[in-house]
Amino acid sequence: MTPEPRDGRIRLTILGGYLGSGKTTWLRHQLHAGAFGPRVHVIVNEAAETPVDDALLAGAGGVTLLAGGCCCCTGRAALIGALRTICDARSRLAASAPRLERIVLETSGLADPGAIVAAVQADPVLVSHIVLVETIVTVDALHALAQLATEPLGRRQIGAADRLVLTKVDTAEPQALAVLRATLGEINGHAALSAAVLGVEVALPPQPTDARPAPLPLLPDEDARGPIRPAQVTLPEGLDWSAFAVWLSALLHARGDDLVRVKGVIRTPAGRFLLQTVRKVVQSPEILPEQGDARQDNSIVFIGRGYRPEDLGRSMHRFLGLPSA
Amino acid sequence: MCNACGNPAAPGHWTEAGTVTPGDRLRARFHRIGVLRAILRPYGLTADDNGAVPGIQVGTLFGASVIVDTLSDVWAEAERLCGRPIDPLDPRYLGDDA
Repeated sequence: MTPEPRDGRIRLTILGGYLGSGKTTWLRHQLHAGAFGPRVHVIVNEAAETPVDDALLAGAGGVTLLAGGCCCCTGRAALIGALRTICDARSRLAASAPRLERIVLETSGLADPGAIVAAVQADPVLVSHIVLVETIVTVDALHALAQLATEPLGRRQIGAADRLVLTKVDTAEPQALAVLRATLGEINGHAALSAAVLGVEVALPPQPTDARPAPLPLLPDEDARGPIRPAQVTLPEGLDWSAFAVWLSALLHARGDDLVRVKGVIRTPAGRFLLQTVRKVVQSPEILPEQGDARQDNSIVFIGRGYRPEDLGRSMHRFLGLPSA
Repeated sequence: MCNACGNPAAPGHWTEAGTVTPGDRLRARFHRIGVLRAILRPYGLTADDNGAVPGIQVGTLFGASVIVDTLSDVWAEAERLCGRPIDPLDPRYLGDDA
């Protein structure tokens, strides 16, 4: 989980997952157990006109319902409006008063989390009030394999996740579960994986070593640039942030559509920066407290396709005029 | 935001993170423009930032020039001015076909 920022912005958690994958069930239990803290506002988005889910979500500080339009496309204006209203109400309170700390956005089963992050970043008000901390995606242990074989959207959702929650694991065959986990590792090897039954976290059985991922046929609207893979780039000691930003901005301009995610903590003279990008969108890096686990510092994960992973490090060294690694 | 020119349109572009005081910001701008200039030169482009005019000036060696707000816009403008994207992962750039 991403460490807490200190800059007073509201932390946004996006909860996604395919239709019927158990988002609301999982969220309801998490709210009941207080996993998101006391001062949390929940926004529920449903693509359909008739809302059902909001009735299930007691336990949150406030609930906003956006029905009749998926908030990554047709309902985007409504989402921005709702977020602005929340920020506005919060700004009227003194900074010392107990204020809203967190927003959980439960997306409709059809939403692409990347598009939502882009919308928040493009809004001049929201960009300085809201920071995305985590994208959680629920995965239906029973049906996900079938969905992943045919639905490009299901794959995109998994690719965008920081944390994957396997739901309904009690009903899945152990063999099928092992194949699903291997397949998820193939699509997004970077995300943390946990399991839940009706929202209650359960331990995953040890993964058998002979589990092979299910074949993922290329889908019509996917191109043949190969699967999305994670790659790590270790930054040199004493990296120059301005120069690194020049390289990364060039890379995202040229390859942003292929780079699903860039993530990592960068140590600079000004502090530890938490860097996160979703496609071409970059959040202004949070400055993390000095304490905490520093072992992962200066190691950036690039998740994407269409390039050779080893080229990233070479490109950075050449761009910045550093001696070759 | 300046209500005559609308700059800056958004607070603190991500590439400027960590600069707190105006002095820091100016130092970072001068440093950044040096890096940028060295990178754009082989593409026949120039970059300028005198610290007083907001934004970054991108130009060609023939004199066409444009002022953009952020580094992200620099690359879009550079692509337009030189007719092809500047791709750090281009095999030609990496020297793989040399």
